[in-house]
This record gives sequence, structure tokens and C-alpha cells, in this order.
Amino acid sequence: MRRAALTAALALSAGLLAACSGNGPPANLISVSNGGCGGSWHLAHPGWYTFQVYNAAGESGEVDLVDPANGAIYAEVEGLGPGTSSPMSLDVGSGSYAFRCLFDDFDPITGPTVVVAGHAPGSPAILPVTSNDLYGPAKQYHAYVAAGLNTLVSHVDALAAEIRAGQLGPARTAWLAAHLTYERLGAAYDAFGDFDQEIDGRPDGLAGGVNSSRWTGFYRLEYGLWHGQGAAALATVAATLDDNVRALRASWPSTEINLLDIGLRTHEILENALQFQLSGHDDYGSGTTLATVQANITGTQELLTVLRPLLTGRYAGLPAVDTWLDRLNTLLGQARGPGGQWTPAARLSPASREQIDAACGQALEELAPIAAITEPRIT
Amino acid sequence: MTEDTRPAEPAEPGNSGSVQSGSVQSGSVQSGSVQSGSVQSGSVGVPGRRAFLLGGLGAGAAGAVAGVAGGYAYRATRPTSAGQVALDNAAAGLLPPVPFHGKYQAGILPAPQRQTAVIAFNATADGHAGLVDLFRAITTRARFLTAGGTPPPTGIGAPPSDSGVLGPTVVPDGLTVTLGVGSTLFDDRYGLAGRRPAGLTPMLPFPDDDLDPAQTGGDLILQLSAGNTDTVMHALRDIAKHTRGGMQATWRIDGFASPARPAGTVPRNMLGFMDGISNPDVTDRAEMDTLVWVQPDTAGEPAWTAGGSYFVVRLIRMLVEFWDRVDIFEQENMIGRRRATGFPLDANSIFATPAYALDPTGEAVPLNAHIRLANPRTPQTASSRILRRGYNYDRGLDQVGDLDVGLVFTCFQQDIKRQFEAVQTRLIGEPLADYISPFGGGYFLALPGVADGSDYLGRAMLA
Repeated sequence: MRRAALTAALALSAGLLAACSGNGPPANLISVSNGGCGGSWHLAHPGWYTFQVYNAAGESGEVDLVDPANGAIYAEVEGLGPGTSSPMSLDVGSGSYAFRCLFDDFDPITGPTVVVAGHAPGSPAILPVTSNDLYGPAKQYHAYVAAGLNTLVSHVDALAAEIRAGQLGPARTAWLAAHLTYERLGAAYDAFGDFDQEIDGRPDGLAGGVNSSRWTGFYRLEYGLWHGQGAAALATVAATLDDNVRALRASWPSTEINLLDIGLRTHEILENALQFQLSGHDDYGSGTTLATVQANITGTQELLTVLRPLLTGRYAGLPAVDTWLDRLNTLLGQARGPGGQWTPAARLSPASREQIDAACGQALEELAPIAAITEPRIT
Repeated sequence: MTEDTRPAEPAEPGNSGSVQSGSVQSGSVQSGSVQSGSVQSGSVGVPGRRAFLLGGLGAGAAGAVAGVAGGYAYRATRPTSAGQVALDNAAAGLLPPVPFHGKYQAGILPAPQRQTAVIAFNATADGHAGLVDLFRAITTRARFLTAGGTPPPTGIGAPPSDSGVLGPTVVPDGLTVTLGVGSTLFDDRYGLAGRRPAGLTPMLPFPDDDLDPAQTGGDLILQLSAGNTDTVMHALRDIAKHTRGGMQATWRIDGFASPARPAGTVPRNMLGFMDGISNPDVTDRAEMDTLVWVQPDTAGEPAWTAGGSYFVVRLIRMLVEFWDRVDIFEQENMIGRRRATGFPLDANSIFATPAYALDPTGEAVPLNAHIRLANPRTPQTASSRILRRGYNYDRGLDQVGDLDVGLVFTCFQQDIKRQFEAVQTRLIGEPLADYISPFGGGYFLALPGVADGSDYLGRAMLA
């Protein structure tokens, strides 16, 4: 590993120096403002550099180190407050480099270009994803959820009908179908706002826990259906769930998807699955949390489908994402009993449990970069 | 780099720098002399907890030695634990890097560092190629972590490459990473059945054991030791992050080595006794070749095991509340040493060799004292000696509110059957057994070392 000395010699104007502390700036200081971006600077040779990026402006800004030819970003410092500095590190290889400064109310400024000759490898630059790039994927995902909500409403209708009829055996079957439909939507971290707590909330945090009268939704029904509670008591819960999924469907056309969330969800759905499903935490009696994980994989894969055009060329790890999600999905399928019944997470054999946990962990590691890559950036 | 250029232990024999200043060398202890401290004279024999304590208490022992007036003789002919130097360094700040490359793994010979973690994993890698990737990944991470340095920036393409727990630059802090393999790795999953080390078996329970299957065994064992807890934790997080798909942790225990108290002695275990006083000399290469390292061309052993070392881990709960209710003389008779000084009951310095031949009926050191059973100091038992590396553990509380503390006993040897199992067999039924409860651990083979930057742990095993 090259660990070059910090040799970026920087010519700084007296005015910029004055903005720093009385001791003077460090040698590798890059000063930016809404009037200039990096000043004159140069790179002696390839190697590791850590710049101290100093914001001499009176407002917060963002500083990127870019390839001026195409705007691809090597490194960035976001939210750099006025009068503060932040380190920016990278392994400089052969190529073209320029600082670009983004301040609100000002056009982006790109400073002078520095060329490092030769064929030295370095930190790769990644073309930023813009909000514009994300509108298409967001629209596709919105449509996927809309279609899923139609299915969800019909499944919950059926579930509620079985309970009203006192058919608790068929109701348990209907419950699983409806719940998995919901879990395939990719709900994670309040994707559906308050609806998620109403539809799929846990008793955690409610006084009285599973006995709380405020607990409602799929898990509440699961608890009742698998703990001998009567149809009369559960009919009210089912009706409330039916009302809530219908209300969610009704609100969905006017619900905007936060563009930042699309990338975040790609790992957050499975982070939740690992924390609450593979652990068995969210098993309220049916023993189907592994089925929930499979549904969550489906939701994750839908997000990857809509983002794939943006990720291809930006993320070399994409094939590994597919590989590990497939492996996890296969392992979950293999863990089912001979009759196709789901194995409760708590009753997995140690070997099966290790394989599944390992695959989920590796899938999450491979998914993690996507949120960083697809964060909408200004160019 | 070869083992010749790798420091074994920071202190050299004869170094007295770590002896407590002002300590008194008794100088009067004669080989074979028997201590009969005046406190014991005329005392009444204390019955053993289960009447196992056959030995007398030294009353009436002939040849009373002049007492060590006014101080301790902390050492006689052996240096104090070389690890004390490292312990002091760790307490003072940061330890230097321990070179990773060498004929042997670097974490085997050094004395215990302040902090350790022992983690068992089962392999989940997909096939032989996946297993090779796993061992390469562990090696790559260990190489970086032990040397220290600045983790690579990831630009806008990924979350940070490092947890940041050690700050922006990873400090080596004396970190050693020791990897071993268990017998279960050599089943039919990875095509390694024909490569199983001859002496590698599952750890079966001894009569005094109470093994928990969930904390016993494992395909792999990883020991991370360093000067500080955050260094160990950082290393574990880093290695786990880079090996998620390839292995899954199954049990883990953290340990710590106490400072020697008083300074210049040997660190104590949770029973209050110094532990690890009598160990083979790691600076004696011939002794290491005889006792620790698997030698080339060992009959029955696959060639790849040469340079490895059999690694036994025993998780031993100590029932300290019970222990603390035991009379000091009974305690000392069970151990065979003085609690305050670490002296064998028949001697006046820590490193004195007990003269059992002169004490055939166990009047000074009871015949069933722990140190006497563990190491009878006879020519016939010399080859069963092991290199012990003990760490204390503290896991909070048990079901009845007592402290869950004890010993992470680790030892290295050339042959488990000839060494650890022989020692442990001698200890069956020892009086001390009532106060300890081995509940986990396992048998492993610590892999041969990593020769250079293109080598990796387990290469010969997987070739």
C-alpha cells in the first residue's frame, strides 16, 4: 500500500490564510468559498493524500474532488460549515482532478484542473447519481407498490372474512398470504409513515406488551390466531387492519417517495429482516419469519431492478449482490419442512442457522454501498 | 521474514528489570529444602473438602528454613514473567506491532497480553474455493490489523472501510491474530477429510467437566490479543465484516491478563493465585521444538501441519464465592503454592522447582495438589508439559446472582494426547475440581505461520 507523504503543496492567498487560526493552515489545506474553489494547487505524484478542506465562505457548502472531464466524483465533503474544515482522503492515481464547490444560491464552481500523468491506479471516481436519474426508478417502484397494495387489500379482505366466519384454520392460511404480500412491498423504517405501525407494528414499546389494547395489525392478529383467541375478539382487529390497508392504498397515489430512500431501502429491508425475522423476534406464533425474510428479499430485488440501470457501471459488486441474495433465498427454501411448512427461526438446526445468517450478513455487506452510490447529488 | 527475526518475548532471560525494586532475594533457599513456615508449625490438619487432601501441612517437616524475613523473594533463577514488560507497556500506552509473517504464527509464544478474545466459528463458505477465499480474507485482514495503518478511503462508493473504533489510523497495539482449525472442518464439506491432522479430535468431556455443546468445538478458532480492549474489538469487527459469508461465529469469550500484583511477580487468576508460573521457556528453541511445534515428518501427521501447534481452549468457571469461604491453608494445599507469594509450598521463591522426590508422602506439597498433579517434575512427565496461556474472564452474573468469572485456559503443544490430555487425566478428581467447572472450549490446531505477503493461513492445508 502506498502511503505517500502529504506533499500537496498549495499556494494560498493571504486573504484565505487570514481566515484560519493564527497558527496558519496545514500544508495540504484546500480553501474554498463561494468565490473560489481550491485556488491553485498541485499533486506531486500519485499516492495517498489527505486534504484539509476549509470553508472560507459565510455559509455551508459541499466540496467534491471530481474528474472535470465527466464530473465523476473521487471524494466529497458534505455539509461543510462556515469557518470549519474537514479531511478528505483518497488514493490519487493517474488522471485529472479538480475541486468543485457547491454553495446554495451560487452556481457550482470548478477550480483548476490538476493532471497526474502515468498509469498509476487510485481511488476510482464514480459518476454522481442525480435526482433526475432517480425519478424513473422512483416511479417504477411506486407502481410496484400500487399493484402490491391492490393484492394486499384483496388478501386482507379474505383474511377478515374468514375471521368473521369463525374459520380460524383458513384464517391462519389467509393471514400468511396477506402478511407476506405486505412484506414484499419493501416496507422498512416507516416507508408508509404511520400506516406501518398500524399495519405491521410490534407490541414493543407499548405498556402491557402483547396485552396492550393499542396493539393492532398483522402481528396482533398472528398472536391471537396462534394463541387460541376467539374469532369474536379478533374480528375487530381484522376489521381495523382491513380499514388501514384500504386507507394506505387510497393514500398511495398522492404519496411521494423520497428519492434518498430508494437506495437506503436496498439494505435497510434486510437489516430489519436480520434484526427481527432471522432472530425470531417477530415470531408471534406462526413460526413464519423465514417466509417473511423471503418476502423481504423479493422487495429488495424489486428495488435493485429499478436501480439496476444506475448501478451498472457504478457498482462492480452488483453481481455479488445478486449471488448472495439468491443464495439466501435458496437456503431459506431449503429450511422448509418436508411438507413445505416453515421452520420457526428458533428451531433451525445450528448448521442451517449459520448458513442463513452468514448469507444474510454477506448480502448486507454487498448491498451497503448502494445507498452511498445512489444518494442523489447535485452536479 | 523468518522466525529468526521475530522477537519471541520482549524480555530476555536473566533480565531483572521487572523485579520489584527493593524486593528481597532470600538467597537462602536451598534446592530440596522444605519450607515450614512458623505459621504452620503445630497447626492441625485441615480436612479436605472431600477428604482428598492427603498431604500433611508441613508441620514437623524436617529441615526448617530460615524464613524470608521482611519481604518476598519474588524470583529465584527464572526471570519474572516476560509478559510483565508487555503488560507494563500496554498499561503505559501502545505496544509496537508484532511482525505477522514468520514460520510460526506470532501470537503463540508471547506471554499473555492485557486483552484477548477467543472466538469459535463454523465455516459457511461455499465449497473449497469459498474456503480458500475465507482463509485469504482472514490473512489479509490480520496482516493489515497487526501492522496498523490508515484504512483506505471509499470515496462516494461505499460506507467507510473501517469502523473508526481506533481513530483514523489503526494502531497495531501489539495485536496478534492466531487462527486454528478444529476437527469438524475435516468432514466431507470441503474435501479435507484426508488432510485431518492426526492428533486432532473433538474435545470429549473429562469426568469433572460440564461441557455446554453451544460453547464447545468449532470449525475454526480465532484468538485476538492486544494491549487494549478496543484494539481487540476493532480487529474482531474488521475480520467479521470481511468474512460474513464464509464463517459464522458460534461462541466467544473475552479474557484479560491482570497486572502482576505485587509488581515483579506473576499475574493472578480469579482464585487469587498466580497462574502460569511454571511454563516451558519460550526462548529455548529446542524446548519449543520438543513441546510446542509440530515437527516436519512427524509420523502420521500430514506434511502441512509442520510448524503448527495444537491449541487447546478450556473455558473454566471458577466458583469464587465458594472458594472465598475456604480456609487459606486448604486453598494453598489444593493449589500447592502460597497464595500471597506464589512460592511452592516447599520453597522460598516463585520459580523454585518443588522437590517432590524429597517429599514422597506429600508432607509439604500434598500429593494431590494441583501443581504436583499437573507437573510432577519427573523425567517421565517432562514430555507432557504444555505452554499455558491463561486469561481471566468476567461474564457478569449467573442464575443465582453469583459472579460468572473464571479462566480462559489456553495452551499450546505438539501433541494433545501426550500433553494436555495426560495432564488433565492426572488432574481428574483433584481437590480443586470442586471449585471450578470447565464448561466449554475445544481442540484445535493453530495453523503454521504465514511466510510472506503472498502466503496465507492454511495455504498448505488447502493446496
